[in-house]
Amino acid sequence: MGDTAALLFSVLMDTLGYWWVMIPTIFLGLIVGGIPGFSAANTIIILMPLTLAMDLQMGLVFMVTLYCAARMGAGIPAILVNIPGTAGAAATPLDGYPMTKQGRGQQALSISFVSSAIGGLLTTIIALAAMPLLARVGFYMHAVEMIVVMLFGISLIASIAAQDMIKGLIAGFLGLMIGSIGTDVVYATPRGTMGFLELYDGVPLIPALVGLFAVSEAFIIIEKKVILSKKGQEAMENPSWAATFEGVREALVRWKHIVWTSIIGLVIGVIPGAGASIASFVAYQQSRTFSKTPEKYGTGHIEGLIAPESANNGVTSGTLVPLLVLGIPGGATAAIMLVVMQYHGVSFGPSLFQRQPEVGYGMFMAMAVSYLLMMLTIIPLSRYMSRVTTVPTIYLAPMIISFTLVGAFVPREYMFDMYLALAFGVLGYIARRTGYHVAAILIGVILGPLLETYFLRALKKSEGDITVLFSSTIGNILWVALVVSLILPAVFDRRRKRKELVTP
Amino acid sequence: MNRKTILNRRTFLSTSAAASLTLATPGLLRANTFPERNIDVYVPTAEGGGADRNFRAFTSIWKTKLGVDFEPGYYPGASGRVGYEIYMGKAEPDCYSLIFGNMGPEVLNWAMQEPTFDVDDYFYFGQVDVDPSVVFVGAESPFQTIDDIVAEGQKRTLTVGTSRMAHPASIGILALGDQTGAKFNLIPLAGGKNTVAGAVTGEVDFSVLTSGSVIAAGDAVRTLLVFGENRVGERLNNAKNINEVYGMDLPEMLSARAFGIHRAAAEAYPDRFARLQETFAETFEDPALLEAYVASGGAPEYLRMGGVEECAKFKAAMLELGAKYKPLLTGA
Repeated sequence: MGDTAALLFSVLMDTLGYWWVMIPTIFLGLIVGGIPGFSAANTIIILMPLTLAMDLQMGLVFMVTLYCAARMGAGIPAILVNIPGTAGAAATPLDGYPMTKQGRGQQALSISFVSSAIGGLLTTIIALAAMPLLARVGFYMHAVEMIVVMLFGISLIASIAAQDMIKGLIAGFLGLMIGSIGTDVVYATPRGTMGFLELYDGVPLIPALVGLFAVSEAFIIIEKKVILSKKGQEAMENPSWAATFEGVREALVRWKHIVWTSIIGLVIGVIPGAGASIASFVAYQQSRTFSKTPEKYGTGHIEGLIAPESANNGVTSGTLVPLLVLGIPGGATAAIMLVVMQYHGVSFGPSLFQRQPEVGYGMFMAMAVSYLLMMLTIIPLSRYMSRVTTVPTIYLAPMIISFTLVGAFVPREYMFDMYLALAFGVLGYIARRTGYHVAAILIGVILGPLLETYFLRALKKSEGDITVLFSSTIGNILWVALVVSLILPAVFDRRRKRKELVTP
Repeated sequence: MNRKTILNRRTFLSTSAAASLTLATPGLLRANTFPERNIDVYVPTAEGGGADRNFRAFTSIWKTKLGVDFEPGYYPGASGRVGYEIYMGKAEPDCYSLIFGNMGPEVLNWAMQEPTFDVDDYFYFGQVDVDPSVVFVGAESPFQTIDDIVAEGQKRTLTVGTSRMAHPASIGILALGDQTGAKFNLIPLAGGKNTVAGAVTGEVDFSVLTSGSVIAAGDAVRTLLVFGENRVGERLNNAKNINEVYGMDLPEMLSARAFGIHRAAAEAYPDRFARLQETFAETFEDPALLEAYVASGGAPEYLRMGGVEECAKFKAAMLELGAKYKPLLTGA
């Protein structure tokens, strides 16, 4: 115990010594996270010659910092201009962007930064302390259990549909149908690809994300002078530090919410193959379910912004756990880190902490220090970043469209993806104008293929026996929890109405 | 002044030679300066996997011979099909675009489902390594030996994680089932990382995969059987050859990573293609390759150069094997 504490202290000191690497990397991460199509994973790949030239610890600090900062950065355009840069930030604009339109963009950014940093820092500490235990989660969360986890996220469609049941369900089913395009996961048979090679691997997420959210929004805001409401314009005329601190305070007073939702992210993050998109939707759905004011979600509700941001940063620390303890990368960025670390002679797996404990602890320490530094360096920037919302839409809308089209192009470098983003933009525009919720479509597009993968895997394992869905104890507990979380909002609502009737 | 020009044979030949040389000069100059820019490499699997590791190790040396860098593009999906379809459908056949694939599972794929292009329209010209497939379990698995697996498989159907249905390792385990009467249910887990994860976390009873990825997983896994010769001994837990254990005559179930090229490119630009081949061979002569390969987690015993002929033989063998096992691997 004493030896571990001494080692941790020594690793902390070493990590702090790399502040000069971390601070510029934080800004690099914010930029790549904020640009749709870029991510920590592809940036590490692009900069791999540089990373390989660094010594082991510096390379590790660089990659981990970039990973954390990119995750946080993805929330910035999602909040300010409705462009989620990654699938992990897809739930962020649900409440972040309405806050911006109300002229509370500065507060929204502060809330996002504080939730991300505290959520990330807290889950890093938990992961560090409970690593062996957390690594076991993957041993219990198999295909059947993951189907139920997916359904938690997909049930958000039902919540959205509650406002207009038929339209909500149609939008959700449309999303699921779009999500089923591509080759099947068992025999690789193409379905619904319409002969386009570009759709063999399914509908690419970034064009769908930016098209449905950002391009369609650009078509709508062009009809106005600025994206802000009248009240919002007044609020944004005199940005002040007070608004930044108000956001910080609003996030801090909801610390329990940050803790709870970031732990959801951590637990989902430690499951190999699960990712930030699942975590952010599940956290949002859970936050809404247990809220006393579920009707406020989607209108610029603070808890609705905290939940996905805390959760997707919880995933960041979670993905390191299977990598370090089991040698299995939990996500794409962790997989790239594995390649780089292997070049440095690090062999991940159960004996890593016996052979090179400084590497294992060093990664978590780098994560903790980078979250601390981010809190200090990024929060003050919210005041200046939020000014983008005051740009007249005649400039902003074309900028959004060109920015997002480039973002759609970047991950695969296909012109097709730019056309696809435009097509999703038109679809999103029609949906908005006719009262269909684009978020319901998007949930289907993002979570549908994942649900199908786990579903087919479970059926293949059971040789087609559908009762396999109820064959595991943890799975059954999750089923009950799912049913409860679907019923609870109605129960709360009924109780609230009864209370209102009793109270004169 | 009257000047009479006589076109005799000598004048004709020398004029023709000069004209040909003049016309050919730009081409020759181009050939001499190839490559003028980086080479794009289409990788039909995700970044961070075994192919990515091998690609980076090999091209880190090859680029010093060729004088330009290699730029990878990752196109995973549909068991490698996406990468090949994109390469054949989108990349210019000009020797500046190559594909780095696995001649085992990816060629098997063509036997399961024909691609939209003719499989002879591309060919492999540079084999980097060859490694056999293996049976392995997670470190905490109750199965200690392959006999434990077979015995249990004779009582109940065991789930077997595989990177994809059409994989040499899948054929190996089906052949073992045929031989011993054990029942195995193949579960495609989409990629090497997930296949290792499936075995480690108990999602499946055990997994089969290319041994290089299993070695890279370190002590998180234990290898119990090799579908071929165990060339690395302890690193595969001294697991034995299937033929040795069960008295079978199964051909080695191999994966072989290799660079491929459009046939049209090699035919239209023979000088460029020759330059690629020369420098590929030079790379193997450089001792730095072994260092880079080992540093990337590769087993040096698997490094094995193969040229156009060896690769063609491998490809043909895989197509034949695929045709034989097609009904079992497609559920048909």
